[in-house]
Amino acid sequence: MLKKSVVEHTLEAALETGADFAELYVEQTKRNHIAMVNGQVETALGGLDYGAGIRLFCGNRVIYAFVNDTSEENLVRTAREMASTVKGTHLLRLPDWKTRQWQNINPIFVLPDDVEKRKKADYLAAASAAAFAYDPAITQTRTGFLDVTKNVLVANSEGVWAEERRVRSRFTVEAVASSATEKQSGHLGPGGSVGFELFDQINVEDTAREAARIAMTMLGAKPCPAGKMPVVIDNGFGGVIFHEACGHGLEATAVARNASVFAGKLGQQIASPLVTAIDDGTIPNGWGSANMDDEGTPTRRNVLIENGILKTYLVDRMNGRKMGAAVTGSARRENYRFAPTSRMTNTFLAPGDSTPESIIADTPYGLYAKQMGGGSVDPATGAFNFAVLEAYIIRNGQICEPVRGATLIGKGAEVLMQIDKVGNNLKRAQGMCGSISGSIPTDVGQPMIRVKEMTVGGRG
Amino acid sequence: MDYKNFQKILIEKALAAGFSDCEVYYKGSKHFEVMIMEGEVSDYENSALQGISFRGTWQGRTGYAYTEKLTEPAADYLVAAAKEHAELLSESEWEELYHAGDAYPALEGENKALERLTTEEKILAAKKMEHAALKGEDSIASMDYCVLDTDWMETAIANSYGLSLYHAKNSVTAYVCAIAKDGEEVKTGSYFWKGNDWKQFDPVATGRKAAQIAASHLGAAPIASGKYKVVLDGPVMANFLGVFCGVFFAENIQKGFSMLGGKVGEQIAADCVTLRDDPLLPEGYASTPFDSEGVPCYNKAVVENGVLKTYLYNRKAARKDGVPSTGNGFKAGLTAPIKTAVTNFYLAPGQRSQAELLADMGEGILITDITGLHAGANTVSGDFSLSAEGFLVTDGKLGQAVEQITVAGNFYELLKNITEAANDLYFTSGGKGAPSVRVREMDIAGK
Repeated sequence: MLKKSVVEHTLEAALETGADFAELYVEQTKRNHIAMVNGQVETALGGLDYGAGIRLFCGNRVIYAFVNDTSEENLVRTAREMASTVKGTHLLRLPDWKTRQWQNINPIFVLPDDVEKRKKADYLAAASAAAFAYDPAITQTRTGFLDVTKNVLVANSEGVWAEERRVRSRFTVEAVASSATEKQSGHLGPGGSVGFELFDQINVEDTAREAARIAMTMLGAKPCPAGKMPVVIDNGFGGVIFHEACGHGLEATAVARNASVFAGKLGQQIASPLVTAIDDGTIPNGWGSANMDDEGTPTRRNVLIENGILKTYLVDRMNGRKMGAAVTGSARRENYRFAPTSRMTNTFLAPGDSTPESIIADTPYGLYAKQMGGGSVDPATGAFNFAVLEAYIIRNGQICEPVRGATLIGKGAEVLMQIDKVGNNLKRAQGMCGSISGSIPTDVGQPMIRVKEMTVGGRG
Repeated sequence: MDYKNFQKILIEKALAAGFSDCEVYYKGSKHFEVMIMEGEVSDYENSALQGISFRGTWQGRTGYAYTEKLTEPAADYLVAAAKEHAELLSESEWEELYHAGDAYPALEGENKALERLTTEEKILAAKKMEHAALKGEDSIASMDYCVLDTDWMETAIANSYGLSLYHAKNSVTAYVCAIAKDGEEVKTGSYFWKGNDWKQFDPVATGRKAAQIAASHLGAAPIASGKYKVVLDGPVMANFLGVFCGVFFAENIQKGFSMLGGKVGEQIAADCVTLRDDPLLPEGYASTPFDSEGVPCYNKAVVENGVLKTYLYNRKAARKDGVPSTGNGFKAGLTAPIKTAVTNFYLAPGQRSQAELLADMGEGILITDITGLHAGANTVSGDFSLSAEGFLVTDGKLGQAVEQITVAGNFYELLKNITEAANDLYFTSGGKGAPSVRVREMDIAGK
């Protein structure tokens, strides 16, 4: 994207005053988004994101700048301004470039940016029609398709030169069911680091009918009862609970400044022995997968917790320096406007032995959270909260009536210890994760699990 | 090339390509940020950005495209992409562009003195803020973050009808979060200051306040589930308004995504509830003289003494209802189309202090924090169920800190159940405002 000489001159200017590390990140992104309301195209958008981020380290200090004028003159001037805030002792010279290469883990068959937009809209219309056909009480639909083609270059003062083209596609569907007095909605959003072939892998009509089914189920549902009770969380997007309750607390971003309840706990039992948790950026065509992270380090599979024992944190370059830990290929950022930091990729709980049927049958009373919504956490305290989109009461080992408006709250360190059943039906689902380096695609996942006791919020 | 040149060339190219009209929205920004950790600068950030969002009428439909590259090939891309996008749309998707001619309110958004502030002064203030937070209370163990930002932003809108608008604004934002510890118990407390008059910024008070908030929540415990009388702290009510303000947007009402259809002129809230959207509020965080469509902005009551006075309109929604735009047509960024948004949107304060409201309530709970609004709130039905923290109130006084509870309810009902608004109006950094409010009763889940 940039000439080698421009990159070299920029990094040399950045190192002039003795910084001990310099990095240039350049990005050009083509983005297309089509959204339908009730089967009519309401939004068709697209555009070009373009810019560069320069980063310097001097000891534990980070200096970051980003611009979208990437002329050599502007980049060198910006680098020099940054360097003027550094009084370092290092006199680094750029080594020869070591170009990073790999076997592409995310092969793309049909580049979505090349596909006629009308073809994309046809899939969305079919999904909308399928949702409406599911039940006359489905009164509104929203369907969408987003594709992103991002070209990234990372070059740094250690001679790393790494480039990658990242392609992601995602289909979303929301169905709204209405009665005279209320509206309930169901939504799903399958996607991956895949091209337009996404539509060969999923059936948009089945997905739309599933969203409609959730909306219809919740339409008749009574408000969820409140209080402490056992909670069975189903597979797939249920994994968001680990993502929030624990995952963010294992990011070096929080650990390095001692703002995580899991800081200083390596090698200790932090979860029930049934829990093994993995963050794997190398799952082929995974939503959170890439060949390299945003510091140019190859991604990898990191076992975070093994049989309840904390094995590793997710570590980026700067926080690794502060903690004396090696990088784990986990540095990510939304775009050039953010300095990278340690983030999750595809995070999931490994499957256990229990069948889903036996977990339900073994629960005399509790909440069955079939579809989770989003959530958030304060990593410093571990306090988290989630919305449950589709939930039922379990009574005498049977799934009974649906309930709506349930919220789950708790503290990560406590809930991990309270997991007393882990199913054998691992499934992953796609989400967007927001944190200090922006909003990035991440997979969450788990088999069905049971938490012995959780606080359930609701109006019933 | 510079944006003025780019605007001119782009309009010419679009008209030549067959667009019947078009608009070029430009946004430029400069941002500086410094983060302090343990008395030293840990992160330091600088940026300069610019970008263009284009929209134009192509065969009766409105096509959009955006770019962050201001080059001639990018202009050609915008014209071609906007045309392709327009062709996909149904015929009703037309946004009539604004014709010039109206007068605009005078609003000074830029304080030139702020641009002269040196980096050293900013760093020194941020260090003072961190120090004050760390020393603010004995229980403060470490910092979550301590950051000082300065922002400068310019917006320029030009269209083929001769409209040409420009507005610049700048601000400083300081935000700080302290961590208090007592044994294994951990609590965070955050606070911020925002404005463009540096002289008003008191870093020591800001840091100390964060420390006090964190320390005050130590010793917290859940309370028994049940119905409680409640006072919502100003920031909590302001966050509710931020999440649910979409129920007042005409475009949501027209699509059936709000329950307020056909309710203008009706009582939808308690008598003591007045909600205003005031884009011209002096020193307002979201103040602006015109919206993203170039329509002049003005101060208006959305709800007055409980009665719904108006919906909030962009031009397209206004056309559908046969009324003028209320100047609430905004885009969330370059990549976004024109939607509806509020500016400084607030619940008008009452006469008495929060302490007086608590004294009146006698027994109940003061809620000071809610989290999970992005997932635990249904913006269509108004239902919410959120994680919360606060304090028990006994004999009209603050008591035991409370944590690990949820508060559940419905926004439409909440508006009706407010019995009094206090005089402590608070604004979030996004411009949503509210004083503390007393609420008849809410559902709490805890022990």
